[in-house]
Amino acid sequence: MSALLELRGVRASYGGITALHGVDLRVAAGQVVALLGPNGAGKTTTLKVAAGVHPADSGRLLLGGRDATGADSRDLARAGVCLIPEGRGVFPNLTVRENLLMMTFTGRGRAEVEEIAFTRFPVLARRAGQAAGTMSGGEQQMLALARGLATDPAVLLLDELSMGLAPLVVAELYEQVAEIARQGVAVLVVEQFAAAVLDIADHAAVLVRGRVERRGDPDAELRAELSDLYLGSAR
Amino acid sequence: MTSTETRADRFVRELADLRIADPAAGRPALWLRLGAAGMAAGVVLGFAAYLLAHGTTDPLAQRDALALGLAGVSTAVAGSALFLRYSLTGFLRFWMARQSHDLSVLADRLLEKEKLQ
Repeated sequence: MSALLELRGVRASYGGITALHGVDLRVAAGQVVALLGPNGAGKTTTLKVAAGVHPADSGRLLLGGRDATGADSRDLARAGVCLIPEGRGVFPNLTVRENLLMMTFTGRGRAEVEEIAFTRFPVLARRAGQAAGTMSGGEQQMLALARGLATDPAVLLLDELSMGLAPLVVAELYEQVAEIARQGVAVLVVEQFAAAVLDIADHAAVLVRGRVERRGDPDAELRAELSDLYLGSAR
Repeated sequence: MTSTETRADRFVRELADLRIADPAAGRPALWLRLGAAGMAAGVVLGFAAYLLAHGTTDPLAQRDALALGLAGVSTAVAGSALFLRYSLTGFLRFWMARQSHDLSVLADRLLEKEKLQ
């Protein structure tokens, strides 16, 4: 299966601090890849490089087989790369409807955007007139996902979807993510809490101190190794 | 777009048409330094022109000094514009992110307050 998103030997840094030391990753259409790792491993930086938000010092970003290294993040977003950042990613003082209205910049009409959002997340229809900041964390994440879906993404980059949410809500959200992938979207999920995402992932990679230390199917063996990798005692 | 084209196919096609600029072409840090250098050079040129004009009674040399002074003003203005362009954009991005974060924190606090009542 050809990859829609591929990182080859990506190195990235902030000032003099190197965050990624040659990361290789690939995500095909319809696939969910989980990028796991402890705090500060470079997971969010990987997503930022994939979305064109943070420049790579070296290495290549390939999208749909084409070298897109150095491409403007706005161009990539227009083409179909959607990054849902860590946190809730919504405008808290705007209503759900207004949050969705902002996604009409993609050229889709208001009715179409709302249909996409409300069909997938019916609870948002009931909260349409409510300020996003007054909803529960799970509902805000649903809104963030709905806003992402309204852009008709081909590659979806999710950063810490489970942050601050109850396990049941997380499971529900990841079920939606799996459904999105089944429709042919390439999904790269960054998670600190592995259990939440491994149930739906097709492939997993564990990032430790800017390097992929382990990759493979999200099987019992990988789950068993995770704590060692997180604590740095596996090597 | 053909009716059988999948989203992935369309993504590949659209990316093939995408014009990707050379990442080195922007060089914002270089422009920022150039702007700062321009501002400093403007001041130096102006001061040099002042010294030159006062060091001679030759009107031709004084006119040259005037021209040098004007060139200093132009350099300082252009340098300031470059410096502001490449320093303010970074600052404004940070400011917008900060505003967004503050609003989010405020909403959380209001919610907490509401729950306590």
